Formats: sequence, structure tokens, C-alpha cells
Amino acid sequence: MNRYLPLAITALAILAMATLFLVIAPGMQIGAQGPSPGLNPYTEAEARGRDVYVSMGCLYCHSQQPRSIAQAPDAERGWGRASVAGDYAYDNPHQLGTMRTGPDLMDIGDRLPSQGWQLTHLYQPRAISSWSIMPAYPYLFEHKDKADPGDVVVKLPPAYAPKTGVIVAKQDALDLVTYLQGMKRQYAPPADGLRDDGYALIAAEQQKQTDAAKASN
Amino acid sequence: MQITETLGLLLALSFIISLLALTILIWAIANKQVHTPDADDARSIFTPGEGAEIDTPDKPHHFDTERSGIDQVSASPVMWLIAAAVFWLIYGSLHGLAASLELHLPDLMSGAAQMTFGRMRTVHLNSVAYGWASQAGLAAVFWIIPRIFHTKLRMVGMVKLGIVLWNIGVAAGVMAIANGWTDGLEWLEIPWQIDIVLALGAACFVAPLISTTKHREVHHIYVSGWYFLAAVLWFPVLFIIANIPGVHHGVEQATMNWWYAHNVLGLWLTPLGVGTAYYFIPKIIGKPIYSYAVSLVGFWALALFYSQVGIHHLIGGPVPTWLVTLSVVHSVMMFVPVIAVAINQHVTVARNLWALKESMPLRFIWFGALSYTAASFQGSIEALRSVNTITHFTHYTVGHAHLGAYAFVSLVLMGAIYQIVPRATGKYFPFPRLIAWHFWLNVIGFAVYFLSLTIGGVLQGLAQLDATKPFADSVILLKPYLEGRSLGGGLMTLGHVLLAINLIALGFAKKTRETETDNMVAAE
Amino acid sequence: MMSDKMKKDPRLPDETFEPFEETRRIPLPVYWIAIALAIWGVFMLVETSHSTQVADKARAQLDKQEQTKTAQVSAPDPAAGKALFSDNCATCHGDAGEGVAGAFPPLHGSDVVKLGGAQAVTEIVMRGIGGPLNVNGESYDGEMPAFGSVLSDKEISEIASYVATGLNDGTKTISASEVADIRKVSGDMDPWNGGAELAGLINGLPAQPDAKTPAAKGPDAKLVAQLVNEGTDTVWSCASCHGEKGEGLETVPRLAGLPAAYLVKQLHDFQKGARFNDSMAYVAKGLSDREIIDLANYYAGMSSPSGATPSLQGDLKRGAQLAKEGDWSIGVPACFTCHGPSGIGVAPEFPGIAAQQPSYVAHQLAMWAGGARHNSPLGLMAGISKALSDADRRSVADYLASLPPVPGSKPADMVAMTTSASAAKESSNDQ
Repeated sequence: MNRYLPLAITALAILAMATLFLVIAPGMQIGAQGPSPGLNPYTEAEARGRDVYVSMGCLYCHSQQPRSIAQAPDAERGWGRASVAGDYAYDNPHQLGTMRTGPDLMDIGDRLPSQGWQLTHLYQPRAISSWSIMPAYPYLFEHKDKADPGDVVVKLPPAYAPKTGVIVAKQDALDLVTYLQGMKRQYAPPADGLRDDGYALIAAEQQKQTDAAKASN
Repeated sequence: MQITETLGLLLALSFIISLLALTILIWAIANKQVHTPDADDARSIFTPGEGAEIDTPDKPHHFDTERSGIDQVSASPVMWLIAAAVFWLIYGSLHGLAASLELHLPDLMSGAAQMTFGRMRTVHLNSVAYGWASQAGLAAVFWIIPRIFHTKLRMVGMVKLGIVLWNIGVAAGVMAIANGWTDGLEWLEIPWQIDIVLALGAACFVAPLISTTKHREVHHIYVSGWYFLAAVLWFPVLFIIANIPGVHHGVEQATMNWWYAHNVLGLWLTPLGVGTAYYFIPKIIGKPIYSYAVSLVGFWALALFYSQVGIHHLIGGPVPTWLVTLSVVHSVMMFVPVIAVAINQHVTVARNLWALKESMPLRFIWFGALSYTAASFQGSIEALRSVNTITHFTHYTVGHAHLGAYAFVSLVLMGAIYQIVPRATGKYFPFPRLIAWHFWLNVIGFAVYFLSLTIGGVLQGLAQLDATKPFADSVILLKPYLEGRSLGGGLMTLGHVLLAINLIALGFAKKTRETETDNMVAAE
Repeated sequence: MMSDKMKKDPRLPDETFEPFEETRRIPLPVYWIAIALAIWGVFMLVETSHSTQVADKARAQLDKQEQTKTAQVSAPDPAAGKALFSDNCATCHGDAGEGVAGAFPPLHGSDVVKLGGAQAVTEIVMRGIGGPLNVNGESYDGEMPAFGSVLSDKEISEIASYVATGLNDGTKTISASEVADIRKVSGDMDPWNGGAELAGLINGLPAQPDAKTPAAKGPDAKLVAQLVNEGTDTVWSCASCHGEKGEGLETVPRLAGLPAAYLVKQLHDFQKGARFNDSMAYVAKGLSDREIIDLANYYAGMSSPSGATPSLQGDLKRGAQLAKEGDWSIGVPACFTCHGPSGIGVAPEFPGIAAQQPSYVAHQLAMWAGGARHNSPLGLMAGISKALSDADRRSVADYLASLPPVPGSKPADMVAMTTSASAAKESSNDQ
């Protein structure tokens, strides 16, 4: 090759094609569907809590995309039904995540709805699970001599409680918990909900094999 | 149903376009429809203005960049870039090491929000991706482009302005992230307001390169030039589309996110690494690249296939099936360009293994080139649905990412730095043994790192797929592997410190290098 | 210094060498690989389109199930009513509604049905009933669960119409929309408090025994309410996870109506580490023996509607087979053999499993299969769970979720301080 312009034009045209197929076409398809029926926009407190979630980088250990039963036992772990594109209509930035160093959080509001549990766990995860490697977030809390009216006191076991006074949640912690409590995807997914169905065939074939094995017994 | 069929068609169409384009390219090469750099072309590289000693008919493929004054012009922006890149390498490595330690010592640094894992890890990624790899790659680009075009770098002032803007952008970006101001998308965390500074910096890099290309004194563009010139166009387009605020949301934002994030690797860092290796491997050995036709296939197949692989990061997720399959199929097609590059680079080195003993930079670069082959093969296989279901959400992916971005791109660029700096400064590295130490620390450290995460990741993925194992099992079994990762990461970081020491020591050394000396930086 | 050591290899190029590429053909294997990959790619596309078809079909099926369940048909189908009756009612009331003297009142030729008609049957099916009740002059004192949360309007209309017109000589059926109207009023109400309350609904009902007044709330009632709703300084409230009605959700189990002795044993097992769940171990360690007993009694006596719906795409037919008959080809006995008819539980050891959360059941079965849970009597559950496939676990969990909830137990089944202490001792001996 010895001419720059054709090289540049072809290179950019290929990128344009990739953009069309990976961003624009799916964007139009997903946009046409809109939010799943049953999904509510975030309340103000939830939106504030979501900002805390984003800024702390929770995304880097927690996904928000339960897999289908055909692929993985996510539903059996209580992580909720497989999500579809419409379930994320109000998300910006999206927090689908790519890691499960910790469990999926798409349905955490159903599985662990307790504000008290969440606050204890955010203050010190190892107060509940000795094996946990989640960071503690003590800076979302305040150490006070006495709780003021309206303060939410964190319930702590003696080993992690302060010697005197109490630990109360700051607004950021309360908002974050409100966001987590609102993470509920119990409504039925729309029949035409978009998701990766690429594992359905594999699972169906496996089922057929186990059925056949059973029949031959 | 109707819609699914239409989209299935669209998917098939995209794949067929890619295949057709590849077929036409190969047909054209086979039938010599593509102009090959034959003997005439080769001669036309040497302009009559050059001295007879530099460019004699009985010595084709020779050109003295030093005496023609080309290197002297590029030297100062290249050294600026290298200095900044190494700073961000150390800064980023320390954050990476800290993040790694936090994963198995979670209460080590929980005193301040700035030090929480979610932010440390993000500062690490942005420092090494935008601060280190991008700038070290640009240093190689600004060094190599004028050399292969036989003309000096144009608009040097603008390049330097770009370097200043870029570093302000990266510094502001990582400070924003550490303090909780983030756009919240992987690889796109730097707030878009700061991204404007980075985009301006990028523009200051692109214009001088295009200008230099226009003024080139050779007819044929050497293969490194294709990769570099395409990459410097691809990156700004990617960066700007991905960072426009208010356009993307929901799952569409997720597909855009991974279109961007994978293309930053595929269409930015990879071309920088491959192009650098394509230049320095034959340059150091003194033997040509195996085949021009193969390098054409390698380049265009990379552009066609790599650009559409991003959605394999969302396999099994809430995105349309056809989109995922599109990326899976293209990921596997990546075997084609990778095999092409492997033939060209490895055959050249394998026929001249003696050079590895002589040249430390070549050792770095060839290790990097091998890692490129390994990382790409691994990536293609990892994208298969059956494999991906195990590895997807695990630390295996992190190991793979480091095989690509570290063992490939970073090692190639470290080799390039060791090769470029003595020529740009006219000085030797005073402690060549330390270069070998650096090499082995990085290689051994990386091997520990990679094996830990690969084995740990597979076990983690299998545990999570097994309904009869509680989730806790997947965390508990991973801990020793996370410790292994910290050990490997520590050795790698130590290697980077040696790189900085080598550069600083060279800065204090007296000028010793003579102009017509050998090609080698150091020999043991 | 260094330059002395530098040896110049004669083969090294000089600095002026310029990289270039030779003109060689593309090696043949590259073509082969490219062609093979392209063929594989096309195969993948075809396979994906098959996969989406499989998934579409599965979704369409689920949709259809959902629609038939919610469809509002005005005329109830007597055949469907009979089938639903034998699925849901015959376990206790008998195939022909003949009842069991002294335990389950008859529905065939029953004065309550005759006088109240399909309307009254609907009310009772919807809310359930417990306490003293006279039917055809015979007295009963049992508990019938509320079916309102597990049966659709259409299904209730078909059952009620069948009981009124098929088992008795009534002529008036009830439509799904009329059932819907009743649901609006009484859907959330507590079970009927014996015949005394029923007398207010059915005109001319023969004399009924007095309703039992709820046990006088002792001094502990306040403390229990405090624990349930607010927790203590160190322990979260029960209701914050298990729900105000103890109905649970996802992997949080339903507690309402479980045997008190079972609940006490589980809490002690959490304390001792014999059963693993970090959150529950934390809670149990923060509770005194007294508190554990009070809470167990509180939840054992609780009647609340089902909060569970099948959600794991299990095969309900297979689930029903496993629950009612077991599958001897894999050595699995019927769940109901131990857990009681319709899974209502057998105190003290076998908890009710009807209306339990499906994720919880499937997860616990999986934990038994994998050995992470191992605190069942004689290790029974481990053997059973290991024999079940992944799909079987989901099927049985989904089927149990479709059943009516377990009614709260009678005071006789409650645990007193002393017995629990010995129970705790026993279970520690087991370990």
C-alpha cells in the first residue's frame, strides 16, 4: 500500500460499519421497546444512592444481569429471573458489570430487603461473613456519643461495635441502601423482552439427553 | 418472530460483508491486483538527495535516520512522552498492586473513600491505559513514522502541546475518579468534561502525523505505518462517540461501552503494539519481514474482525441474541489476522534466534509479540459460548486482559523504549544488567500473575455454575490465587521501578554514544 | 565502562538497515484455516437462529400458561372444577367430598354448602377457616389454609361451582368476575374464625360453637413484636427480611406456620454452626434461648397468605409427581410422605413446605446435595437431594410454591422453655 487517503477512508469505513452493527442497530431495536411494564423510574433517594454505588465502583465486583436458567443457576441462588433489555431503561450510566467477585445485585432488594442488614454489611462485611473480601465503607458512617433523633443506628455485634457511643449512617449510606432495596425485578418480563437466548438450544439438548438416559434406566 | 428473522438476516449480512471483504482482498493479492513493493518500489524508497554512502544501489534498504537529522527532530517529543508514560506506569502499577492487595486483605486500606478497591482499580486502569500504554505507544509512533517516511516530524510544537494537554487530562481524570467523580462506565470513567482536554490533546497528535505523512519521501508505506496511521484515526472517533454525554443510556449504553472498550484494545493499543513490533523486529535483526502479502491480510482482517468483537463481553446478558453471536463469530475469525501477524513476526525472529541473546530490547519485543499471539488465541476461544459461560464473570478475564494489555502491548513498548532512548539521547544505559533484571522480573512476575488468575478464574467460574455450591465457596477458593496475583503484580511493579531507575541513570550519564555504533543497547 | 564489554557481533546489521517485507505468497494453511473458520461461522449463525426459536417457543408456552390462568371465562367448566377439586381439595375432604369424621368436614351434602351456596364456598376457599365448626351436627376443630393466593379467580369459581352444584344439588354457579369481586373485599383477610364467624355470612346456619378467643397476650407479646419489627441493638428485625407476614421472598424462607420445634432447632443449629448461613448465624447468636422460643412460637402460630409463585421454570407436572408419589427409579420418596399431606408439615420435625419460596427450596435442596447443609434427621434430605437433578429440584420447588400455605399451628404444638432445652440437647448429640 502506498497511498494514505484510501487507507484512511477504508479504515474509517470499517469502523463505521462496526458502529452501525454494534451500536446503532441494537440501539434502535432496544429503544423501540422502551421500559419493561412494571419497571418504575428511580425515586430521588434511589437516584442519589445509585450515584454512591457508581462513585464507589461497586460495578467492579458486582454484576446486575442474572443469567437464564438454561445457562446458570442464578435464579436458584435467589438472584432473580434472567433480565431483559427493558429492565434497564432508566439506567444511566448502565451498571451491568462484568465481574462476580461478589454476587449479582439485580434482585438484591427482594433477597436482602433489610435496611439494618445492609447498613451492618456496608459498615463491616466481615461482621456478618468472615470470608467476605468486600471492602468496608466506614466513611459512609459517623461515630457519635449518642444518636440524635432521626439518626439510624447501625446494629453491630460486640466485636465490631465501638467501645462507647454509637455508629450512625450518613445520608450517603441511607441513600445507597434505599437504592439497593429498590433493586426488585419481580414483575414478569415482557414476552418480547430482548436478551441473549444463545444458551437455550444447548440446555434443551442437555435436557433431552438426561431424559433419554432416564428412559433407558 | 418477524423482527427476529429480519435481525437474523442483518446479522448474517454483517458476517457475509466481512467474509466477502476478506475474500476480495486475498483474491486481489493472489492475482497481484494489489501493488506489491517490488524492486522498483524498493529503489524508489531512496531519494536521490541522500548521500551515496547512505543510499547506494548495492546497499538497498539502508537509510541513515541519524545523519539525515530525522531522529534529532523527533527526539524531544518522544523523550517527553516516554518520561510521562513511565511516570504513569509506576503510578498505575502501584494502584494496581494496592487494589490487588485489597482483594485478599480487605481491611488494609478502608480508611478513606479514595483508597477503596472500586476506585484504586479504576485509577490503575486509567493510568496504565491512557497514561502509560497510549503515551508509550505514541512515543513509538512519533519515533518510527518519520523514520519510515524518510522525513522529519512536522509540527513538533503542536505535538508538545498535545503531550501537555494529554497529561493534564489523565491527571485530572484519575484525581476525579479517586474522589468519586466518574462517568461510571468501564474504560470510560474519566468524566466527559475532562475528556474534552484529552480529545484536544489527541487532535494535537493526529495533525502532525498526517502532515508528516503528506511530506513523506518514500512512495511505499511500510506495514507499521498502516497500523499507526489507521490507529490514530480510529482512536479519536471511538473516544468522541463514546463520550458524548446524554446520547447513551440503558442497555444501548452497555453495547456502546463494550464496542468502545474492546476497540480501544483492538483498534488503538493493539495496532500500536503490532506496528512497533513490525518495525523493531526486522530493524534489530537486520532481516526483512517474511511476506508483504501476509501482512496485508493481517492488517485488513484485524480491522474487519476486531472492530466487531466487543459484545462478547455481554454473552448471556440482556442484549439481542444476534448481536452476541455477531461478536462471537467475529472473535473466532480473529484467528486469521493473528496467524498472519504470527507468521510474519515469529518466522523472522525464529530464523535469527541469536539476536535474542544480543539485544535486550528484542527480548522484550519478541516476548510481547508471542504474547499477542497467545492473547488473541485465548480471546477467540474465550468468546465461545461454552467456554465463556465458565470464565465470563471471573478473574480469568482479568488474566486475559493482562496477557493482552501487559504481556503484549506493554512489553513491546518497554522494548521499544530501551531501543529508542539511547538513540534519542545519544547515551548508553549505564547498568545494562538492570535491563535484564527488569525483563526477568516482568516475565516471571507476569507468569505468576497470569497462572494464578487463569487457574483461580476457572475454579471460580465452575463453582458459580454449580448450584450445589454456596456462593461463598467461589470466594473462599479464590483467595490463594488472589494472593498469587499480588505476588506476581509485586514483581512486575518492581520491574517497572527498574525501568525508571535505568532511565534516570541514563539521564545522569555522560554522552558516550557515537553515531555509527552498532544497533545494540547492551550485551552481556 | 560498558562500552568495553560490548562485543560487536559480525552478523549484526548496522544502524542504517531499513525494515522491509519480502514478496512471498500467502502460505496455503492460512487459506484452509480461513475457509474452515468461515464455514464454522455460518454454522454458528444457523445454530443461533435455532436457539432463539427454542427460547421463543419456551416463552410462548409460559405466556400461554399465564393467559389460561388469568382468562376470565364467565361460565365455569364443570369438568375443570372436578379436576381442580381432586387436585386441591380431595386430599382432605375425600374424592367425593365425603370428608373424614371428626377431622375434615364433608362437602357432599353439607349444610354449610347447601345454605351458603357457591358464594360461601368461595369465601371459605379464599380466606381459609380455622377453629370450632359444626357441620351436619358434627363438630370439627381443624385448620384449612387460604387458597386465595394460589388459585386464580377462574379456578376458584370452578371449584366453588363444582362443590355447590356437582357435589350438592345447588343450581347457582359463581362466575370468575364475581369471585374477583369477593377477592377485592376479603382477599387479604384472616381465615374465618370458626363457625361463629361463618354464621354471620350464612343465613340460617344451625347453632355453632363459640369461637376461641385468641390466647391472652402475655407479657412477652410486646417483646416478641419488638424483636420481629425492630430487632435489638445488635440484631436486625425478623420482618425486615422475612416480611411482615413471615411469607419470605426469593432465598428468604417463609416462616409462617412452620413447626415451633423445627424453628427452634434451626436457630440452635445456626448458633452452633451445624447449619450454615452467615446472616442467620449472626442473628441466632444474638438471641437468647427465651427469645428463640418466643419467636418460634410466634411464627408457628402465624397464618398468612402465600407469598410464593413458581418462578424457576420448573415442570409443574414433574414437581407434582415428585411431591405426591416420588420417583422410585431414582430412589426418591414422595415429599408428602414425611412433610404431610399437601406439604403442610408434621410437627415437630418436618416443616411445612407448601407455599415455601421456590428459590429457597431449590437452593436448600442444592445445598443438601452438595453437603453445605447437613442438619436433617438421619441425613434423609442429603440422599434425596443428591438423587434429584437440577431440573427436578426446580420442578419440585415450583410445584410446592403453587400450593396453598400452611395454616398456623395450634397452641398444643408450641414449644415450652423446658422441652426446647432438651431438644437443643438432643440436636447437639446428633452432631
